[in-house]
Amino acid sequence: MKHRRRLGALGVAALAGTLMLAGCAKDVNGPGSGASSGGGSGTGQGCKLAAQPPAAPAAATSSQEQGKGVDGSKMRVGLAYDIGGRGDASFNDAAYRGLEEARAKLGVKDSREVSAQPNETEDQRQSRLRQLADDGFNPIITVGYSYAESLKAVAKQRPKTQFAIVDDDTIKLPNVHPLVFASEQGSFLIGVAAAYKSKNCHIGFVGGVRTPLIQAFEAGYLQGAKAAAPGIKIEDDYLKPAGDNSGFNDPSTASLKASGQLQKGADVIYHAAGASGKGVFDAVKQAGGGALGIGVDSDQYFQPTVANDKDIIMTSMVKKVDQAVFGYLAAFASNKLGGYPKRFDLSTGAVGYTRSGGKINDITGPLDAYKQQIIDGKIQVKDKP
Amino acid sequence: MSLLSPPAPATAPLEQPNRRMPRGSTSLIWVLVSLLAVFLAEYLTGAVDLTSTNTVQNGLLRALPILLAGLGGVWAERSGVINIGLEGMMIFGTWGAAWGGYFAGPWIGLLAAAVFGALGGLLHAVATVTFGVNHIVSGVALNLLGQGVTKYLSTLIFQPISNNPRESPLVPKFDTYSSVGIGPWLERLEQKNWFGISDLAGIVHGLITGVSPLTMLCLALVPITYLVLWRSRFGLRLRSCGENPVAAESLGVRVYLHKYVAVIASGALAGIGGATLVLNRGGSGYLEGQTDGRGYIGLAAMIFGNWKPGGLLAGSALFGYTDGLQLTTGPKIVMALVYGVVLLIGAIAVWKLLQRKWLACVIAGACAGLLYWFYWAVDEIPSELLPYTPHFVTLAVLAVSAQRLRMPAADGFIYQRGRGG
Repeated sequence: MKHRRRLGALGVAALAGTLMLAGCAKDVNGPGSGASSGGGSGTGQGCKLAAQPPAAPAAATSSQEQGKGVDGSKMRVGLAYDIGGRGDASFNDAAYRGLEEARAKLGVKDSREVSAQPNETEDQRQSRLRQLADDGFNPIITVGYSYAESLKAVAKQRPKTQFAIVDDDTIKLPNVHPLVFASEQGSFLIGVAAAYKSKNCHIGFVGGVRTPLIQAFEAGYLQGAKAAAPGIKIEDDYLKPAGDNSGFNDPSTASLKASGQLQKGADVIYHAAGASGKGVFDAVKQAGGGALGIGVDSDQYFQPTVANDKDIIMTSMVKKVDQAVFGYLAAFASNKLGGYPKRFDLSTGAVGYTRSGGKINDITGPLDAYKQQIIDGKIQVKDKP
Repeated sequence: MSLLSPPAPATAPLEQPNRRMPRGSTSLIWVLVSLLAVFLAEYLTGAVDLTSTNTVQNGLLRALPILLAGLGGVWAERSGVINIGLEGMMIFGTWGAAWGGYFAGPWIGLLAAAVFGALGGLLHAVATVTFGVNHIVSGVALNLLGQGVTKYLSTLIFQPISNNPRESPLVPKFDTYSSVGIGPWLERLEQKNWFGISDLAGIVHGLITGVSPLTMLCLALVPITYLVLWRSRFGLRLRSCGENPVAAESLGVRVYLHKYVAVIASGALAGIGGATLVLNRGGSGYLEGQTDGRGYIGLAAMIFGNWKPGGLLAGSALFGYTDGLQLTTGPKIVMALVYGVVLLIGAIAVWKLLQRKWLACVIAGACAGLLYWFYWAVDEIPSELLPYTPHFVTLAVLAVSAQRLRMPAADGFIYQRGRGG
């Protein structure tokens, strides 16, 4: 009996000790606050905006008609798609549109398109490119950074063939022409637009996978939003860490991420998450209350797979792969590849934002002003967060 | 007995349940203690999102596909057929749901998902039951087949409509319903931030707000599975096929028939699990690769739950809750959950001390201490680890609960009629 009582006392002491020790916990919302307000804390008045840069002068229309009078009928164009191939409603399709345009305007007659398969080996990719080169296709355009390794090897073996690669600029070879996009510059303008349109002065970013390519979107967006409204609150999330590419293909996860951001009070959300973006739009639509979503890569306002959410798509950050591909082909046909740009930024018009749906028609003034500042080099946009 | 005889029935004496307590009370105590730990953590850290309506709603959405895949696993493995092909059947389900949903609305979509999943199950049954193929081999084949066939079908049928071979066009989703009666009342209660009461209100409110008929059906399938498998004559026979098919045969049970029914039902359940990814809120239509290994996690949740629907429900709820939490709230709130786990393990240590199990007490105490140190040393979970929070928590709980898992005795055994020796 005595023994048991001692044990009981020991137990009580241990319990008390544990509770004392474990009893102090960090406060999530900083000292002194017992609870957060949960939902949106915004006043609905919008942001206190920074002074807007001087309005842009009526921009000298720099749309010189490319490829006029160029004859490309002798060109034999090879086009190697990334996984997904034609019909992905994204950059593979955009590359195809560039080729179509070249057919119509330059008279390209002979072309061959090949597509990458999921889970294929480096070897298969290389032999596909070699095959194209050996069959006499020149130039050959590869779509997507996943071709970088293979192209590096093949371009050395076939020095007489000209290659171009979209979204990668790591290969330094005379016969490889990179076509990369300054997505951070376009994203900067998107950030400005989001800050102007947010009623709670609270916006969000959902990235698919934390890779340098996507971080450029993030960095530009954050910088733009802070430039337009220094006091803005920004939710900044990724779906998956680098290496786990399922983040580009998981709308249900994206939808929960976005609904979390909305719950915290964000009311404009920009996604750079490929096919997962559909989930972001769904969450925004579900939340209602004037919340808006921003698309990426192509004009998602017209994309059939998100047609239901059309009314909440404020704008899209577009990368005009078609324009870059067509321009490259035209430059090749007129033998002016040396002068053709390798990096497409705001000044070339190959990155930018869309106005479909008319939701940002009222703020094009400030957007154009910021755009001019970037083009003039007065604002340097970082591509790393 | 020939070589084909089933493994000898477990001769080790089954653990005698503690007769002083009614059945199931141990699990009830576990649930209550865990809830208490979460409430305490929430109270002490001020992280109200731990039990907010939104968290619970999202957790439920994340748990459903895992739950359904796990239920499919329970059906198949209780009849003695290992079903590693759940992932493939789930993929069939997502395609079927998008196809039926697009052309005829969500209810037909649900039906099509179940039928497509069941077809996958039928194939698995033909291979494993009739032809005696190794269950694992057939399951892996089904997973590959699921990917391949849906890819072919969606290129054939979806591409002309959506211009994309990897995606279906928009699919109408189920409407959601909320309880009008007590919903607002619970919401007010939740906002009071009273210890325990507001938390419970938040949880209940989350479970009765924005619920689709599909969600209700899925939750109802848990007790239905229990009643059919454990409280009916058919279920007893089915489970006997999983424990000792030769003995069942000798008593006149039609083993093949029961196995067929079980595996086809398993496929249908996994297919419905796939449908939850397509037809519920946040769903997206068919998208290549959208199941993302949920079939395998369902299988793990089933093992976690000791091949029983109740345990499976707990396992998938745990996984879904932590997943929903990390997705919707972010790294800081997850640290509050870590604090809750510290409290839980600390309580276990004290309990073991009272039982005079010194070793267990020391181990639990050390774990609690280590985790507590981690809690103080780190302000928020590193973003690289955040998406894997549910996996860590599940591992931790598996290690702590240290329950005795027992799979059906003849699970995976290749039985052939009349060869029982």
